[in-house]
Amino acid sequence: MTITSKSRHTESSKPDWLEWATGIVSALLVLGIVGWIAGQAMLHQETPPEFRSTIHSTQAVAGGFRVEFELFNDGSTTAAAVEVRGELMGGAAASEAAQVTFDYVPGKSSARGALLFAEDPVGRDIRIRAVGYTEP
Amino acid sequence: MTQQSGLSQGQVPPRSQASRQFLVGLGRGGAGALIFGLPMLMTMELWSLGFYIERYRLLLLLLINMPLLVVLARRIGFEQTSTWREAIRDATVAYAIAIAMSAAVLFLLGIIKLDVPATELLGKIAIQAVPASIGALLGRSQLGGHQDDGPTDEEGETESEVITSYGRELFMMAIGALFLSLNVAPTEEIILISYKMTPWHALATLALSILIMHAFVYAVAFRGAHQLSRGTPRWHAFVRFTLPGYVIALAISLYVLWTFGRLDDTASTQVLMAAIVLGFPGAIGAAAARLIL
Repeated sequence: MTITSKSRHTESSKPDWLEWATGIVSALLVLGIVGWIAGQAMLHQETPPEFRSTIHSTQAVAGGFRVEFELFNDGSTTAAAVEVRGELMGGAAASEAAQVTFDYVPGKSSARGALLFAEDPVGRDIRIRAVGYTEP
Repeated sequence: MTQQSGLSQGQVPPRSQASRQFLVGLGRGGAGALIFGLPMLMTMELWSLGFYIERYRLLLLLLINMPLLVVLARRIGFEQTSTWREAIRDATVAYAIAIAMSAAVLFLLGIIKLDVPATELLGKIAIQAVPASIGALLGRSQLGGHQDDGPTDEEGETESEVITSYGRELFMMAIGALFLSLNVAPTEEIILISYKMTPWHALATLALSILIMHAFVYAVAFRGAHQLSRGTPRWHAFVRFTLPGYVIALAISLYVLWTFGRLDDTASTQVLMAAIVLGFPGAIGAAAARLIL
């Protein structure tokens, strides 16, 4: 506890055991965080962003079809302004294309988004891939 | 909200004076809400957060804010032996001032218009009202002068020694951290910085945050600085106050980042880095709260 008098604070000289317990738990937590990040810094080398995508669902919406997908970044560095292009295949060539830009896809993380097509994608091949990014 | 600062217990002011003091109190609250709320009211990300923030996270933030304000009101009124009932009343009035002030400023700046949907309107105001309400409470106490409030208290000097429990001390740090975190967390810069940083940068930030936090309260002789009683080693305060304070600042950072949806689908290392980045202003806020409150 602290004693305040005329805006002077003096820490009590005989603290409760609870104060020490809290202090020690906090110290362990801070050391844990430091250890974790130091471990990350030393063990994991930096790998450039690497993308893959999975399609979650396809729904009919007003004026077209929505394809919801998730873009994973398997690299350890973050990519910014990731441009994603989706192509609806009609036979060998793409019959329709749509694109979207993600602000960030952090390293070892994912970001969700959706592409809107005019043609019905059900039963057809959809190719979604990242076509470019910048370093944050 | 009555001004209790100058009144001894049991003394009832005349009616006209009481209502004047009430209005002065409202004015101070409004001033505080403006001083502490304007940086956020003029932050673009918060306007858009007003409509895309998930409603249950917004609700949780609003609910958490209430007990926080009550405890803060109780603490601020400590010199005037305020009761819990008075604290609840002060907190409610401060919240109301903050909501009115946020609505007025957002309307003035043309950010909300009457034809926008109600959910967007309410969302934008509600999210701004949280830091503004803390400002309104602080405005009442920190901007409040003691000269013009009727008869001055005679017993002030002898009874001004207040014992703050350890839990309350940590609570004050949490409020300080929350306030500063709320100010900077909505901006995109926080996550951008954490993406630009290497883990080594993060470690340096962590060390510096703890160091600054400790120095703020114990080494730099601000008004309201803390001192140790004689014979207590310096590291005692470091373990008992600074380290728990930093852990609280980190926890608040995580909570605020989660509230604003900055942590969704993000790897744990990135989450931790963002928390450390936001923990830097959070730690300074926590230290400042120990000096001011």
